[in-house]
Amino acid sequence: MELLVIFGPIFFSFFVYFIFRNSPETTKYVALGWFVVLFFLSLNWYHQLPPEGYMVLGKYLSVPQFGFELTIKMDALSVAMLILTSALLVLVVLTSWEEKEQHIYMSLLIMFSGPIFGVFMTTNILWFFIFWELTLVPMLFLVGYWGAEERIYAAIKFFLYTHVFAMFMFVAFFMIFRQTGVWDFSDLAGKENLFKTPFLIWWLMFLGFAAKLPVFPFHTWLPDAHVQAPSSISVLLAGVLLKMGAYGLIRFTVELMPETTKHFAMVMLIIGIITTLFAGFLAIYERHIKKMVAYSSISHMGMVVVAISTVTYDGLSASLYEMIGHALVISPLFLIAGWLHHKTHTWYMDEMGGIMKKAPFVSAIFILAGMAALGLPGTMGFIGELTITISAVKAYGWWVAIVAVAGLISAGYIIWAVRRAIHGPMSPLVERTTFTMSFPEKLALAIYAILIVYFGVNPQPIFNLANQAFAFLGGN
Amino acid sequence: MIYEIGSIGNIGVKTLLIAPYLGSVLAYILGKAKRELAFWVAEIVGALLFLASIYLFISFEKPIDITLNWINYGDIHLPFRIYIDHLSIVMLLIATGLGFADIHFAHDYMGDDPDQPRYYAKVLFFIGGMILLVITKDLIGAFIGWEFMGLASYALISFWYYKHSAASAGMQAFLYTRLGDIFILAAIALLYFYAGTIDLIKLNEMANSGELNKTLALVTALFIFMGAIGKSGQFPLYPWLMNAMEGPTTVSALIHGATMVNSGIYIVARLFDFYHYTDALFIVANVAALSAFIGSTSALVQKEIKKILAYSTMSHLSIAFVGLGVGSLAAGMLHLVNHAIFKALLFLSAGAVIYLAHHVKDAWKLGGLWKTAPFVAIFMAMGSLSLAGVPPFSGFFSKEMVVASAWEWGNGFTAIFVTIAALLSIAYITRLWVLIFLGEPRHESEHDHAIHGASTFWMRLPLGILAFVTLAISLFQSDIVHYIVGKEVEEPHVAWLTAFMLSGMAILFAIVVWLYVKKLDLLQKIASHQFMKTIHNILFNGYYMEAMITWISKNIIVNSIARGFRWFDTFVIDWLVNATVPMTRAFYRFFKKGHSGEIGGYIGQMVIGIAIIVIAILTIVKGL
Repeated sequence: MELLVIFGPIFFSFFVYFIFRNSPETTKYVALGWFVVLFFLSLNWYHQLPPEGYMVLGKYLSVPQFGFELTIKMDALSVAMLILTSALLVLVVLTSWEEKEQHIYMSLLIMFSGPIFGVFMTTNILWFFIFWELTLVPMLFLVGYWGAEERIYAAIKFFLYTHVFAMFMFVAFFMIFRQTGVWDFSDLAGKENLFKTPFLIWWLMFLGFAAKLPVFPFHTWLPDAHVQAPSSISVLLAGVLLKMGAYGLIRFTVELMPETTKHFAMVMLIIGIITTLFAGFLAIYERHIKKMVAYSSISHMGMVVVAISTVTYDGLSASLYEMIGHALVISPLFLIAGWLHHKTHTWYMDEMGGIMKKAPFVSAIFILAGMAALGLPGTMGFIGELTITISAVKAYGWWVAIVAVAGLISAGYIIWAVRRAIHGPMSPLVERTTFTMSFPEKLALAIYAILIVYFGVNPQPIFNLANQAFAFLGGN
Repeated sequence: MIYEIGSIGNIGVKTLLIAPYLGSVLAYILGKAKRELAFWVAEIVGALLFLASIYLFISFEKPIDITLNWINYGDIHLPFRIYIDHLSIVMLLIATGLGFADIHFAHDYMGDDPDQPRYYAKVLFFIGGMILLVITKDLIGAFIGWEFMGLASYALISFWYYKHSAASAGMQAFLYTRLGDIFILAAIALLYFYAGTIDLIKLNEMANSGELNKTLALVTALFIFMGAIGKSGQFPLYPWLMNAMEGPTTVSALIHGATMVNSGIYIVARLFDFYHYTDALFIVANVAALSAFIGSTSALVQKEIKKILAYSTMSHLSIAFVGLGVGSLAAGMLHLVNHAIFKALLFLSAGAVIYLAHHVKDAWKLGGLWKTAPFVAIFMAMGSLSLAGVPPFSGFFSKEMVVASAWEWGNGFTAIFVTIAALLSIAYITRLWVLIFLGEPRHESEHDHAIHGASTFWMRLPLGILAFVTLAISLFQSDIVHYIVGKEVEEPHVAWLTAFMLSGMAILFAIVVWLYVKKLDLLQKIASHQFMKTIHNILFNGYYMEAMITWISKNIIVNSIARGFRWFDTFVIDWLVNATVPMTRAFYRFFKKGHSGEIGGYIGQMVIGIAIIVIAILTIVKGL
């Protein structure tokens, strides 16, 4: 079953393409069905989880000479990521309901679901790396073919950037194996003294994950890729691919080398704060609606880095919450930004204006998600910001309370964006545009909105997962 | 938490916690089906909330204290706690009672608006936010209600979002208050870690027993006061309060009377012992005295009815803050209560005037409304007298108490400024009333009030009740003080003050009436003097504070910092990233030359290569 989940999609996506190439409409139902199955499978795994630690699902493809095998092991963090990924994939199918050339598009999406599940399911560092790289392939085509005007530049930049930085990670993984002789990172947790050059390994891995997250100054691929990608793919990029970076950071720096991480925690913290504020200011200056959202996304990931850098039970719990919150909050913003461009054919907010009158539902969702992005209570953004601020102050002292400024900066760009694009008198461009949205897209947006509010009012389910995942760090 | 709401035994608390949000959703959905239903849902929910507050008031024995599980992660536990004592009940009665009156009034005022479902949904949400603020025990719970009000005020001020000015005013209100709010967020984190609690009651207790670190208490108290400055429109974050007049007048009544602006005073009053523990109250008193002066002088020259009232709100809130700041919880809270009632009355009367005059808001374009709307004129006069502080109206007692406390406290700056502000209120409110109701109608063509006729019963009822209350409540002033503070309060006594205030008010009243009724030409002569014009412009623009803040945010934050970051991002970071492409190409071109096919070139390269390897080996082996 586990192998089917990972490798099935990689191979069967070709069959899906060949079988349904004459009836492209069918592929989306196939994709939807498969992702729903994945979603329930992930939920099922969640219910099977032990109260603490890993659950071993199986070991395959072993090469005894090297002690090498595909180890499939999961803990609460992996399962949280799997649930998030599969839920987002379902919603992505809904929001790409009217995408062109669906048979290829959906095949690629199905293909993407394999390696991304692999990344979160395996504990073998080499397989982890292989899946990590494989996720890039469908993404490259999805951005490069379905994207906007400058999609080729964006796709190549995205691919090369993440690939090059993954090489650092690869070197680090190889060094881990050379120095310890173990492929399974879950066996290495707490055995930091086995590493001969921990600082080097830490930095190489950190670079690899930092570019994926992304943090300042490795973030410039993101605005290009997110803007040029079709909106649903932006959702995947922001909701899943960036989470791979955060997941890797938690797995390989915090869990694998907690002592070294504490040694460099201050660096991580500073990088996180700079990312948050820098990207926030860039978002304020931005007229381009989707770039604004993209910078907002970077800014929120900076908060995740701040939370991870605390290396405490509560800080990591807050980071997991913020990761899920970021995925659910930024996705509708990306979708609406892309949809507005699709309808009005402009990216610039000052050319829009008065959209609320013509598309009240979408505007309301945009405002709601925006409020979540700026951290308004009652939404996921607030709990994320609050818990991160508390944890960071607890770990570092009073001066970290400066991260609260992020709440003001984000209010600046979100409210100003609403002022320019949604409110105000109707611009001539909006006047002559007809705004229509298909039912599945509306449904998906409504689901996002409900989730944002539900988990904002009742965050405990996510924190339960977090408590299960990070209990090993212990309270202090 | 939401699973445990059912376990709250008290039906009143449950209603207050759930009904506003449920009603908000219901008003929108039902209102979409049939427009009138939105009003009726709001009316019923408003009545329910008021009844629930009265129920709590009557059935009160000891403070209600309920703890619900909310967030537990790591070793951090953030429960959701409800605490209702006398202070909360007073605030609840104000919020729900005035809110109910406001909803009732809106039946006709908003009667023509096609967006009624949206309006009532937002109004209920707004009241819900205020309720949440006053019934929670933790700073986080209070912050949630606090921010709900920020959102609701944003949505209501920009209710007519298709108007440029309304959309901008909404944005301004949200950002100004948000600037204060992030300080509260920081204060939560600081208090949680350093004081070990964010429980408002416990913070007071800790302050009383002297357990708190003084620096921490001072810093967090000032941070929370920053939030209060934003919400209650104090110096320097007041301009949003005036621009908030872009919303419907009923919304202004709600913001200025029932809910939002009271929240800043409430939070300081709730944390009064905590504030008293440090020197924070000194800063509160002085900032507030300055704001009172700014508000009352600016109100003197405004043209729009609502702006005059807005500046008067600012000034009166500051008077309440001064009351708290000089150490008299009783004076501050009493003034808050009185002000909330008469200000709601004034705004609703102003709404009636604007409704009758077909949305003419400029007081100079009105006049002579006495004949057509006698009821409104009387009600507004009662509100005005109360605001001016004329005995026996309620405003007199509380204002007197604040000013006397300020003089007793002994800081000259505070006392003088607050006295000026208290005196000037009679001048601007008389001016407003005289302009609207006396004289002959100016600009006849622009307002033709024959169409709407007189004010309707829907409007008169809440106005009449509020007018009655503002008079009747003056009988119970000492009871209110006793109810809130819980012990007998010694009345501050400054011998000369009452006589001074009353004669000052009489003189100002006489001057204003004389100038605006009899001698308008003299007034214009004075106003046309160059020096007076300058003063007028400064006051009219609210001391240019809005221009200053706009300049800073536009030129420094957006066009310098953000733009500089953008430049750095594009031309340094991304340039370096993209520069890898030509660098690779140059690298290729350089080494391509090596493949020349000439044997000499290859030998030369081999020699260089070997030399590099040898040097490298020697470096490593010998440590050369």
